Amino acid sequence: MPTTTTTDAGADVGVRTHVSGRPHRVRSGVSWILRLAMYAALAWVVLKWMPGNPDRAGKASDAVQFALVGLSLNIIIGYTGQLSLGHQGFVGAGAFAAAYSATVKGAPFAVSILIAMAVSALFAFMLGVVALRITGLYLALITLVFGLTLEVSLFEVEEFTNAGAGQPAHRPDFLIENKPYFYFCLAMLVAVVYVDWQLTRTKAGRALFALRENERVAAAFGINVTAFKLLAFVLSGAIAGLAGALFAYRYENVTGADYDFFLALTFVLMVVVGGLNSRVGVILGAVLFSPFGLEQLLEIHSVRDFIANIPGIGEGRIQFMPRMIGAFLLIQTVVLNPGGIAQQLRPVTRWLGGKPFSLHGDKDSGPGVVEGSSARA
Amino acid sequence: MIRPMLLAVNISQDITTPLVSGAIQGCVYGLLGLGLVLLYKGNRIFNFAQGEFGTVAAFVVLMFGTGLGVPKLPYPIAIVLGLLAGTLMALVTERLVIRPLFRQPKVTMVVATAGVALFAIQAELFFNGTNGRTARPIVSGRAVSSGGLSITWQQVVIVGVLATLAVGSALFFSRTQTGVAILAVSQEPTATSLVGISVHRISALTWGMAGFLGSVAGILLAPTTLFGPGFMTTSALIPAFTAAVFGGITSLPGAFLGGVLIGIAEQFGNQIEAFPGANRVVVFALLLAILLARPAGLLGKEA
Repeated sequence: MPTTTTTDAGADVGVRTHVSGRPHRVRSGVSWILRLAMYAALAWVVLKWMPGNPDRAGKASDAVQFALVGLSLNIIIGYTGQLSLGHQGFVGAGAFAAAYSATVKGAPFAVSILIAMAVSALFAFMLGVVALRITGLYLALITLVFGLTLEVSLFEVEEFTNAGAGQPAHRPDFLIENKPYFYFCLAMLVAVVYVDWQLTRTKAGRALFALRENERVAAAFGINVTAFKLLAFVLSGAIAGLAGALFAYRYENVTGADYDFFLALTFVLMVVVGGLNSRVGVILGAVLFSPFGLEQLLEIHSVRDFIANIPGIGEGRIQFMPRMIGAFLLIQTVVLNPGGIAQQLRPVTRWLGGKPFSLHGDKDSGPGVVEGSSARA
Repeated sequence: MIRPMLLAVNISQDITTPLVSGAIQGCVYGLLGLGLVLLYKGNRIFNFAQGEFGTVAAFVVLMFGTGLGVPKLPYPIAIVLGLLAGTLMALVTERLVIRPLFRQPKVTMVVATAGVALFAIQAELFFNGTNGRTARPIVSGRAVSSGGLSITWQQVVIVGVLATLAVGSALFFSRTQTGVAILAVSQEPTATSLVGISVHRISALTWGMAGFLGSVAGILLAPTTLFGPGFMTTSALIPAFTAAVFGGITSLPGAFLGGVLIGIAEQFGNQIEAFPGANRVVVFALLLAILLARPAGLLGKEA
């Protein structure tokens, strides 16, 4: 509590001077109680409701895996500013590596996950080397063709796909139920969020942002362009590999058809709609576009009936609606609302982080900030 | 005495068949690639929705040509309606998605076009379901049919249309004022509007032309396969991109040349049986090689 008051006072001194009304300490106390209630509600949804029954727990672990992919993709699109349209390649490579090493070569569970991360990181490293010379649209094209090439070549090799039937990947005994598996995935997500947070708050993150804005200027300031670009790709690949391994164990079977181009588009879509460069936004976007999100909305009984009864839709067509809405959201986000969900939620996330509630929360929006916050204070 | 001769015949056939069928398939890539090059010249972007202009056109032709939920019309009129639908879709895309993003980074625009493609595919799935369709060819029958080699009249039409359009649009850019205006807008929009050229009108014109080219590609390609929602994107867009980049993304004849070369490379890749998907690996390797060695492409003028 004391720390927030000081940072608040430090952040907008001008506001505090003409704020009137209730004593500061009481107001702050009330809003902290509200915040704690929000945290508790959030924790209840994630820890209790999402894994509530085995089916929902399974879909919730899908959502967590999508969130992992989202964070991985955010490193490339958000932090380095390069468009990757082949991320399903990394994820698929991780899934096959995990399943193949565990089932055919008999690697233990943990080792198979590490192998998956290493394999995907290796692929990402190779693309990173290409990205040193080719950037922008051309790189986007290369990642696209890379993903498609893996899909029809490596993911079709009979030894990996168990002659087309799909490579089995059995969970260890303690994760055999969907519920503990969800918690396991969640723990992995927490670990990756921590790594990502460390990345952005240290020299590496600042170097990547500098590279994104202007490579030559960054190089002139002594930033090692080669090393940091490769670092970003390798890290992104490793996280994608982890997500792939978790996908493999989630369905306990891996086929090449699971990792098609539309999955790559969904990945890009969820990251952009969620809000690039924002961990909260990316995770929310991923949850929304995973099998847990929009499709879960349809599972609410009356919603499905309501939509099915609209003339011209009917039961057969309903399955295509979530993706159609998703594509529409993507266009809407890119054209009208470039910050994505994260931008819309910023007042709330800032408030949850201990700052005073304000609809115009950005530091650099000039006088509007002061007026808005003082009106609300 | 006879044996070596037979061997020679076999070898020559092994080379001719993939050469010819690859070149014809490549013409389809080139046709789609023309639209991609046009939009690169006009907006400096890669348009991921290019394939869907064609799919939508093909579906409209199918609807009106066979009377699916709409009055059945004569086939030529259905084709005109299909071309109109694809062009209209491009114009709507330009107005609602591209124009608001003029001042945004190009990558943003590209993501938006991918969104348009995805939306179109989902809408096609919504109305059509996942089932495949067969379209009537514009001309039926075979032009050549000997041994392993077989060329349909439809394929002859494809080659002819592509050659005409490639030459025609190349002349358009080099000989007409409008063509030069499009290039000017892509290089320096502000200065171009200062000399009295409407940037918005030029942008709409470019997209309309691209939509038309995409529709032509879709309508010509649909009868050669079983087609369904998103078929242009999944089967032809990626090779078309590769073709356009390979030939030089700024060069219209380059798209033609690149398309034919990529088509042939794919056919030869098909004959490699060491691992699956060899044709795609060959294409990927070609793309990497050309971008690393000569980013401007075979006939392109600038990187």
